[in-house]
Amino acid sequence: MRTFLAIAVLGGGVAHATVGSALRIANVAPDIPLIVVVLLALRRGPEFGCGAGFVAGLLQDAASGGLLGVQALTKAVVGFAIGTAGSRLRVSQPLVQVPGLVLLSVLEGLARFGLLQLFHFPAPFGELMMYVVLPQALYNGFLGAALVLALAWAERVKERTAP
Amino acid sequence: MRIRALALLGIVAAVCLVLLTVQMRGRTLGASEALAIVTTPVQTALARINRATLGVWATYRDWKNVRAENRRLREEAQRLRVEALRVTETDAENQRLRRLLALKESLPMETMAGEIIAREWGGWVRSLTVNRGRGDSVARLTAVIAPDGLVGRIVDVRAGSSVVQVLTDPASTVGAHVVRTRTPGIVEGEPRGTLRFKYMARDGGGLQVGDVVVTSGLGGLFPGGIPIGRVRSIEDRGAALFSYAQLAPAVDFARIDEVLLLTGNAARDVAASFKGDG
Repeated sequence: MRTFLAIAVLGGGVAHATVGSALRIANVAPDIPLIVVVLLALRRGPEFGCGAGFVAGLLQDAASGGLLGVQALTKAVVGFAIGTAGSRLRVSQPLVQVPGLVLLSVLEGLARFGLLQLFHFPAPFGELMMYVVLPQALYNGFLGAALVLALAWAERVKERTAP
Repeated sequence: MRIRALALLGIVAAVCLVLLTVQMRGRTLGASEALAIVTTPVQTALARINRATLGVWATYRDWKNVRAENRRLREEAQRLRVEALRVTETDAENQRLRRLLALKESLPMETMAGEIIAREWGGWVRSLTVNRGRGDSVARLTAVIAPDGLVGRIVDVRAGSSVVQVLTDPASTVGAHVVRTRTPGIVEGEPRGTLRFKYMARDGGGLQVGDVVVTSGLGGLFPGGIPIGRVRSIEDRGAALFSYAQLAPAVDFARIDEVLLLTGNAARDVAASFKGDG
């Protein structure tokens, strides 16, 4: 299980820069590490969510050549927040999953933008939201929901086949 | 538990902010390089897997495209083949009709064009059904010709069609003569679908293979000069009263689609209209 978690966190962080591009639709790629962090935080709680977010974000920062620590911080916060609130949410419903992930992605984007503003990030907010954050948030929502459903189906199959 | 989590978040946030501050002050981080040592091989491996997967996918898509294109081209080829056949058929029909029209215009009598709508080729009877009948004022025993020569005569007139007795019908007889020698005789149909020219032995001394036999015009049923066939072989019957010559019909009865019915005065000679064929 720990190996799986390590692969999920590390792989998610590194895979994003390479394999993630293959999932591009109209120049929009999903934020796979964010989805992985959210899914793990929902199952394992805020501590794990925070740690997983930090590691995945740090790897993502390193892999993308950006400022080291930006995504590490935002994803750690997202992991912590969703891990804390997860027990109170009905996350098994796609009607919650899709908008939930969209909202989380937007919040993460806003947090990242806010953090980068402290370091004089030059991109205009409107364009960034219109062409980067919102399309990616929508993609994350649908891909994440699909992953949740796939995981739920795999677990059901596993339970049925278990002796 | 909650305090531990908050503490972890605080530590993480502090580490991140320190990292960011250090970077913004223009110092390169050893941590970044250390992480790159870990991430670079993984990224390389993933990129290779990604490329290989994409390559397989691209190959599959190419194969699918080629298959679809192949199917499309096959359909296109099929369509063009049908189109070409149609054009060839139309061209052939056009040529036939042109020849028929030319013959119709050159004949010094009234004619009526007809289309073959049925064929009886059993052996007992050899006939064609033409789409002209009582409604078109077709009369029994009307001569029927094609651009190549004589086809036969109408033996049965119905409301919208007529039956043509073909020259090769075993019951068919036509008065004829050889163009070159003027040898008179009778052309008879045979059960095996061939034609023979029956003539008096004393008149046929100079008959040769290849001689053209045309209608004689005697009897007033068929105009004179319509090609019937060419002598294919001559039977030597010794001292018999009649001799026979096998004829190759001028008209391919199995292939004609359009004919002319000679509805006008049949007492005239029409050899001039067929001079190209004789």
